[in-house]
Amino acid sequence: MSRVPALVVMHADLADALLRAAAKVYGPVDDVEVLSNEGLSRGDLERAIDEKVARWTHGGLVLTDFWGGSCHMCSAVAARGRGEVVVLTGLNLPTLIDYLHNRDAFDAPVLAERLLKKGQDSIRLQRSQPE
Amino acid sequence: MSWTLVRVDDRLIHGQVVIAWGGRFAPSRIWVVDDASAANPWERELLASGAPGIEVTVCGVAEAAAGFEAERARPGAAFLVVRDLAAALALREAGAVFPVLNLGGLHHAPGKTKLNEYVYLGDADRAAARRLLALGVRIEVQDVPASPARPLAELDPSVSA
Repeated sequence: MSRVPALVVMHADLADALLRAAAKVYGPVDDVEVLSNEGLSRGDLERAIDEKVARWTHGGLVLTDFWGGSCHMCSAVAARGRGEVVVLTGLNLPTLIDYLHNRDAFDAPVLAERLLKKGQDSIRLQRSQPE
Repeated sequence: MSWTLVRVDDRLIHGQVVIAWGGRFAPSRIWVVDDASAANPWERELLASGAPGIEVTVCGVAEAAAGFEAERARPGAAFLVVRDLAAALALREAGAVFPVLNLGGLHHAPGKTKLNEYVYLGDADRAAARRLLALGVRIEVQDVPASPARPLAELDPSVSA
């Protein structure tokens, strides 16, 4: 099983910040690329994403911040026709760390399904407890 | 109520439109007026999926101009987004009358000069802007509702020459 590559595409410097935070918890992070949409037209962002995913020989994951944003929309265009390239939105720190732990164990579509569940399960409510 | 926002944005449907402006005005409908997108079924589906819970119409300039007045009378708020100033001008010249045009995003491209972080204009953009201003359209530069709206002519006096 070869490693599933990932590209994190987000607004402003969120992708960089998320990777830095992940490194604090997981350790040094390699083989993950980042891209910001800042200052890019839709066409330029599509091309920037396309250039990176085109290098993937066995698919990979494009991880974005929120559904309907330019990062997601442009990633969907870049992934079109590339069945093993999967776009996941709503990436958070627990999900990114789960990706790092499991990227050598699954292929891209299976890993994406796992991360979808992980992301949804990771949002929890800590209700206040009586003293 | 209907038309609440008529906007130029080269990203078409994206976070600023759906979350920032959408959060302020809760539109029932978004019209994406873009001939290229309208001609591509996959692109139409993608744009529609980008605004969950909102009715998205992707159509060309002629269809949008034909339906513009009827939409004005419908209940709820509606947004209209075009890719560039030329499309906004084409829409206006095809008969759609809008007093204010929000200039929300024209990003960097070769041959264009910077007005601010999200608006870059080239000669064709300025020509279209001049024509829109001459037709009585007020062009306001504003990315999100929380930012101040500034007249385009204030940022680029050459468009009012």
